[in-house]
Amino acid sequence: MTKYAMVIDLDRCQGCRACVEACKVENNTPQGAMWMHVFRFEEGTYPRTQVSFLPRPCQHCDNAPCVKVCPVGARFKREDGIVLTDFDRCIGCRYCELACPYGVNVFNWSEPEDSYYLDWSDVDILGVTGGAVPPYKNPDLELLHGEEQRRTAGGGHLKGVVEKCTFCVHRVEKGLRPACATTCPVNAITFGDTDDPDDPIHAKLDTRDRFDLLPEAGTRPRVHYVGGRHPGEDARQVEKVDSEVSS
Amino acid sequence: MSTGIAPIGESSQVRDQRHWVFRTVMGLAAAVLALGVFAYAYEVSNGLGVTGMRDVGLGGGATWGMYIGFVVYFVGVSFAGITVAALIRLLGLDQLRAVGRMAEVLTVVSLVLGALLIIADLGQPLRGVVNLFLYARPQSPFFGTFTLVIAGYLFASLVYLYLDSRRDAAVLARREGPLQWLHRFVAAGYSDTPAERERHERASFWLAVGIIPLLVMATSTLGFVFGLQVGRPGWFSALQAPAFVTLAAASGLGLLIVLAALVRHAGHHEEVLDHDVFAWLGRFLLGALLVYVYFMIVELLTATYTAGPAEQRISEALLTGRYAPIFWTSAGLLVAPMLALLAAAVRRTWSVGLLVLAGVAVNLGAIGKRYLIVVPSQTEGELLPYGAGAYSPTWVEYSVVGGLFALGVLLIGLYLWLFPVVGLREEVSDHA
Amino acid sequence: MSATTSSSSSIKRRTFLGGSAALGAAVAGRQYLFGGLDLVEAAEEASLEAVEDQVVTTCWIGKQDCGMLARRIDGRVVKFDGHPANPRNYGTLCPKGQAQIVSIYDPNRIKTPLIRTNAKGETGEWRTATWDEALELVASRVNEVRERNPKLVLWQKGRSKAKDFYDRAFVDAAGISKLGHGAYCSDTGYRALEYTIGLHGVLHPDFSHCQYVLSWGWNITNAGGNKFCWLTWPRLMLAARDRGMKIVHIDPRLRSAGPFADEWAPIRPGTDLPLALALCNLLIEKGYVDAEYLTTYTNAPYLVQPDGTFYRVDGEPQVWDTELGAAVPAGTATAPELDGAHTIDGQELVTAFAAFKAHVADKTADWAADVCGLDADQIERIAEDYGANALIGSTIVVDGVEVPHRPVGIMAYHMAQQELGFQALRAMTMLSMLVGAVGAAGGQTADFTWKIDSKYDSLASVEIKDPPYDFTLKNSKYFPINSGYPGIVAHVMQDPERFGVEELPEVCILHHVNPLGSFPDQKAFLDSYGKFSFVALISPFMNETGDYFADVVLPSATIEKYEGPISASDGYIDAKMLRLPPMEPLFESKGEIDIYLDLCEAMGILYGEGGYLEEINGRLGLEGSDALPLDAKPAVRDIFDRWSRAQGLEGGIEFFEKNGVWVKGPIPPTKRYGYVADPPFGGVVHRFYGEELLGYQQTMRAKGATEIYWQDYTAWPTWRPLTMDRSPSEYDLILISYKLIEQKQSRTSFIPLLSEIAPGARLDINPATARAKGIADGQEVVVESQNAITGETRQLRTVAAYCEAIRPDVVGMPHHFGLWAHPVAKDRGPSPNEIYFTGEGYSIQTADQSFHVKVRVTAAGGAS
Ligand SMILES: Nc1nc2c(c(=O)[nH]1)N[C@H]1C(S)=C(S)[C@@H](COP(=O)(O)OP(=O)(O)OC[C@H]3O[C@@H](n4cnc5c(=O)[nH]c(N)nc54)[C@H](O)[C@@H]3O)O[C@H]1N2
Ligand SMILES: Nc1nc2c(c(=O)[nH]1)N[C@H]1C(S)=C(S)[C@@H](COP(=O)(O)OP(=O)(O)OC[C@H]3O[C@@H](n4cnc5c(=O)[nH]c(N)nc54)[C@H](O)[C@@H]3O)O[C@H]1N2
Ligand code: SF4
Ligand code: SF4
Ligand code: SF4
Ligand code: SF4
Ligand code: SF4
Ligand SMILES: [Mo]
Repeated sequence: MTKYAMVIDLDRCQGCRACVEACKVENNTPQGAMWMHVFRFEEGTYPRTQVSFLPRPCQHCDNAPCVKVCPVGARFKREDGIVLTDFDRCIGCRYCELACPYGVNVFNWSEPEDSYYLDWSDVDILGVTGGAVPPYKNPDLELLHGEEQRRTAGGGHLKGVVEKCTFCVHRVEKGLRPACATTCPVNAITFGDTDDPDDPIHAKLDTRDRFDLLPEAGTRPRVHYVGGRHPGEDARQVEKVDSEVSS
Repeated sequence: MSTGIAPIGESSQVRDQRHWVFRTVMGLAAAVLALGVFAYAYEVSNGLGVTGMRDVGLGGGATWGMYIGFVVYFVGVSFAGITVAALIRLLGLDQLRAVGRMAEVLTVVSLVLGALLIIADLGQPLRGVVNLFLYARPQSPFFGTFTLVIAGYLFASLVYLYLDSRRDAAVLARREGPLQWLHRFVAAGYSDTPAERERHERASFWLAVGIIPLLVMATSTLGFVFGLQVGRPGWFSALQAPAFVTLAAASGLGLLIVLAALVRHAGHHEEVLDHDVFAWLGRFLLGALLVYVYFMIVELLTATYTAGPAEQRISEALLTGRYAPIFWTSAGLLVAPMLALLAAAVRRTWSVGLLVLAGVAVNLGAIGKRYLIVVPSQTEGELLPYGAGAYSPTWVEYSVVGGLFALGVLLIGLYLWLFPVVGLREEVSDHA
Repeated sequence: MSATTSSSSSIKRRTFLGGSAALGAAVAGRQYLFGGLDLVEAAEEASLEAVEDQVVTTCWIGKQDCGMLARRIDGRVVKFDGHPANPRNYGTLCPKGQAQIVSIYDPNRIKTPLIRTNAKGETGEWRTATWDEALELVASRVNEVRERNPKLVLWQKGRSKAKDFYDRAFVDAAGISKLGHGAYCSDTGYRALEYTIGLHGVLHPDFSHCQYVLSWGWNITNAGGNKFCWLTWPRLMLAARDRGMKIVHIDPRLRSAGPFADEWAPIRPGTDLPLALALCNLLIEKGYVDAEYLTTYTNAPYLVQPDGTFYRVDGEPQVWDTELGAAVPAGTATAPELDGAHTIDGQELVTAFAAFKAHVADKTADWAADVCGLDADQIERIAEDYGANALIGSTIVVDGVEVPHRPVGIMAYHMAQQELGFQALRAMTMLSMLVGAVGAAGGQTADFTWKIDSKYDSLASVEIKDPPYDFTLKNSKYFPINSGYPGIVAHVMQDPERFGVEELPEVCILHHVNPLGSFPDQKAFLDSYGKFSFVALISPFMNETGDYFADVVLPSATIEKYEGPISASDGYIDAKMLRLPPMEPLFESKGEIDIYLDLCEAMGILYGEGGYLEEINGRLGLEGSDALPLDAKPAVRDIFDRWSRAQGLEGGIEFFEKNGVWVKGPIPPTKRYGYVADPPFGGVVHRFYGEELLGYQQTMRAKGATEIYWQDYTAWPTWRPLTMDRSPSEYDLILISYKLIEQKQSRTSFIPLLSEIAPGARLDINPATARAKGIADGQEVVVESQNAITGETRQLRTVAAYCEAIRPDVVGMPHHFGLWAHPVAKDRGPSPNEIYFTGEGYSIQTADQSFHVKVRVTAAGGAS
């Protein structure tokens, strides 16, 4: 039985946000929607200052509050541990978003078609893209996935539903690593199958000090952190991203 | 004594004038409703982005806002309505029957409004209706809200209301008039003979018995919607449900008092809706307020002392932070009436004016508190260092909610017009 | 492979453009209920057509051109991933590498050649033109000036990419003048290293064996460091840390190092020279001196006369041979003395080393602590750790070769661009010379192979002339060592007489450069570039300089073009690659090489002897059958095909089209480490002592240059108070600038994906400082700079960003914003280059830019 998990090595992470960009391009998420976020935060005061980075995908919790609260089962957890949203079923109540202690869910507040940064209806562009919006539109995202055979991959599908990190289910099912893990310039993100004793992920999980995010929430994440530090109470985020959504 | 049917000894121009007031009020309500409908249409075509709501976390907003706040409020009101009605029945407080009927109307109407508002808050409204039937998951507290509260309990109260209206209808049906066909139809063969009335009494008695637990449960689930969320500082609390229920009672009673006072004035029913009636309502309201204020204090203490950093942040925002104005105003709007009513209780003098004031104040206070349950735990409630967010409703939200209130006014008005509260008089004469 | 979006969304189009109302309604209706069904249909409909493939290319944004794989659907690129076999990035990409996909399709690209229709010096209005018309125009205007004096045609390029063969070939074929971007980049450091040890580069450690690195203004988590764009350095750095390497971060900001600094020395900007001198002093005191290296490979043992020149016999510098007890020609002594004084012919001679010892004797830890705003104990500790970790005398076997082992290094690059940068970088290099770390395993280097640059000699033999000078002030009494500085050229253009210049450039070709967008000082360019009678811009996007001053814009392609050859080496493995177009050039844009081929044809300098084609043959080493015929315009692919074959790759360019990268194998220690190179260190003597520099000073003074120009031409790095510190005391803060990992110079803040994660300008300010000035986090502030020489003040407005990771007396700004020519880049706040100065006191002695200025910061309400 496959059980996917992710280990993020904070002793390697450069806080560069390449993972954020890879996710956005791969999953075609609309403007302002960031499934992966990388916190940059400061603790302490000059000169005893600590600068830290913390990449934050969906934690794919084994005890996922978001799944529990979904009134229609649009948010569900797969056998292999991946927590997904069926955007054909989601009614857009945003209860999952509130139940999640990590703030990883993103709602499509407006028509995704109109939220892809630039005006792609430019005639010269249409000639090249055949009208694809965004022009880098990834066809895999419309396919059905898992034994459930539900449309769960990618983002920006339609107005009024909640979306979030899918662990790149469409890549994983092809045997590829998630986009963020693939692009990470320093290989800080390890993705693997914890049920496979030979999976390299164990090298990180078993040999290093590790922590989970917000253990007190009892969510039992499938994303683990090695090295680095859990943000403390006086952690101050710096260099915020612009998550303004078009409306 | 005559069994002449109301209204008695009333000059026609008084009636006309009253109709005129009635019509303008209804007209205004219709206008506001129209605005609400327009706003909603706008929201549907452009998406919820036209509201002030935004994602929590990076979105730096509140993903539930004014809409959910008012859903909670409406459901609360309905709760009180049906309780009073049921209690009156169970405790056999015959002198309150008049109010009972209004309470039932209030319940049904506010439930309808709550249901509509939930739909208005959904990103996929039509799907909402369809999928809730197709895929409903009992595990979700939300499911409780939808099915128990809205569906089950709306049904129960409708039946309940129907039973009583049926009797009125039967009474009304005895008299010629433009609506006689309707009254006949509603009465559906029931002609209020002692025997029938006997059966009617029993039926609605047992219904009342049934409704009470159902609605305690139902309303609690609404409390759970918030109370069960570990991820939301300020929500995860055992007090959520009970506190929710008592505040509900208070606001409902408050509204009931206002409604009763209106009917009393408008219909010149002073002799039926007498001070005794209002005294009773006053006592109910006072009771509810006392309990709620107690909860409020307990919650404050737990939040400020025992709480962790996140909880601390919320209570700061509430007590001294950006939400302090709303917090203290609403608290005042709840405590002041409590004191006033306490005084009244001691002096045993229940002035209708005071009660109406209290009723209004309590409802404003309740609305404030509902808003504070929903919003701060989102804008100040993130556990990772996202920083604080902000939320302020847009014209769309105000219009939609306003529209729903207007709809409420229209529905109640319509009911009162169709079934003037007259069965009462019958009673009077009978018991004479 | 299923759904092709092209067709799926062509359905959407139909419904959206209301082509078929019925279908529209139906789809919309169902979409409303169940969502997205139209897409599924489309998928089924189209699943057959979709063609997915992968082609190789390289990053278009960064300067290390990471190898990439482009995933294509029906020929449309949908994703870039790192090329797994590329030694620089092994399958990974940075945020810019990922986000650049948007700029390919950006509707705001320049689509056709443009010709200006309004006055210059304001936002341009344009009419579209055909390539023929545009090229004809450029050719005629250029030739018209060329015929009079080719040097008055200025070809200016910036941080461009790949091997610069095709553009340099143009400059040489046309015989015109050229200016680069380096005077803003890190050329100061290049000059210091070329002069001192002969390498063309700044400073980086040999991470493969380094144990202790001074991260000296290295923006570790955001930017380059020496040579690389970024990505490769953190990879090497982490590998070294896994081995236990320690990092001491010498930088006014800790943010640059993120969590990777084991120790932070928050140095006061511009005072790196005194710190380096103090460290040298401490090393000598503590006896951390590699006498063998110094006596064998440097001029440290040379005997210096009181006038500062070497004691020579028949032109041969002399050293003291302790065995013979006499002065002998350098290099011939069996036991050269490092530290001594002797009287010969009544002259008091000291060894250069002894002179240096005296020079730094009073540069104590306390002294430096005071000047640099650091803690004396920390300086002591750094000296001790650096000296101890150097393991002087040890050797290590690397790939079978025994190499001196000095696992201590310095990483420094753009920080060299400070008023005393040239001498600071010399002092820092001398630090590693003292312990013999230069060219050692784990030690100090400045390039990937030990290649001696021709400037090692030319910088030591500059002939300072009398006016008239050319407009770059080459060989002038102002800048004997001259990096070619557009900022100075701008000043010269405003007042030629002042600098003894008679002829000014008349025509300018801007290639991959944006002075108004990325160079200080913006005002100088605004005031001077209008003087060009004709300006042409070659760029895929309109940039600020073009917007204000271009007469003609030639649209180049973004990534959809051939460029190369490009090194794919990570410093340890030798590899080469080419940029191959993943798509046809969009719109009417063309690759630069096509553009230059066409332009040269139009100018009549393409064919025959000395023509462009011959220049290309020369620069690419295309000979015999590989050489391009000089009488036919080649296809660009053919040029690289010939080059590939010339490298001995069967199948020519197809090798790259198939494999993406040509990995030649490990670079042998004998190429990497100066000690074991043949001859050692390329046979050059390391200039511990800067005899020629002192010589230049004397000539400059003789020719009447003012002190501000000659004061830093000294044999030893010598501290003096910084010019900016003469600003009035109310200018109490120093403004520095730096790069963000999400942005690249002035060429990315219009890429919406990047400006989403790095939205705009800000002023990093220490909360203590801000509060004292009543400035809240996020509040708008006015930053006013003051020119200590001219008294001029300049202002910009931006928002304060509280930052505990910066010195309280320093404020910092990213330099990527302040653009206006692209709608997405607009309104993202200013660039610090609006308030930096060029000219006296703000230029480095080598004609390079200094990026420091004194400012005062006030809450916007209270100011102006
Ligand atoms: N304040 C401050 N200023 C700085 C710096 C700093 O740290 N602080 N850094 C300095 C440094 S290190 C450098 S290297 C300079 C770099 O500054 P520049 O040399 O100007 O480099 P860019 O800004 O990257 O690119 C300039 C222009 O090249 C054009 N361009 C982009 N891509 C292409 C292409 O594919 N083909 C062609 N033909 N043109 C293209 C675009 O119009 C862009 O505006 O900036 C310097 N400016
Ligand atoms: N993401 C990204 N990467 C890039 C680039 C880019 O634009 N974006 N540009 C590339 C180019 S062209 C270059 S030249 C390199 C530059 O690579 P780096 O030199 O590593 O990067 P900069 O940001 O220029 O570095 C300036 C650093 O020096 C510090 N500093 C400023 N003044 C002083 C001082 O007086 N003393 C000391 N000790 N430190 C000081 C600043 O705080 C900052 O951390 O980056 C390359 N890589
Ligand atoms: S890409 Fe890797 S290094 Fe960059 S932020 Fe993400 S995890 Fe950290
Ligand atoms: S992180 Fe949030 S969204 Fe993801 S699984 Fe856990 S609770 Fe659900
Ligand atoms: S928003 Fe969608 S996924 Fe989330 S809880 Fe509601 S229905 Fe479920
Ligand atoms: S796993 Fe995939 S979806 Fe999740 S953050 Fe990484 S790239 Fe995004
Ligand atoms: S490091 Fe530079 S070259 Fe490599 S991907 Fe990033 S921007 Fe491109
Ligand atoms: Mo640079």
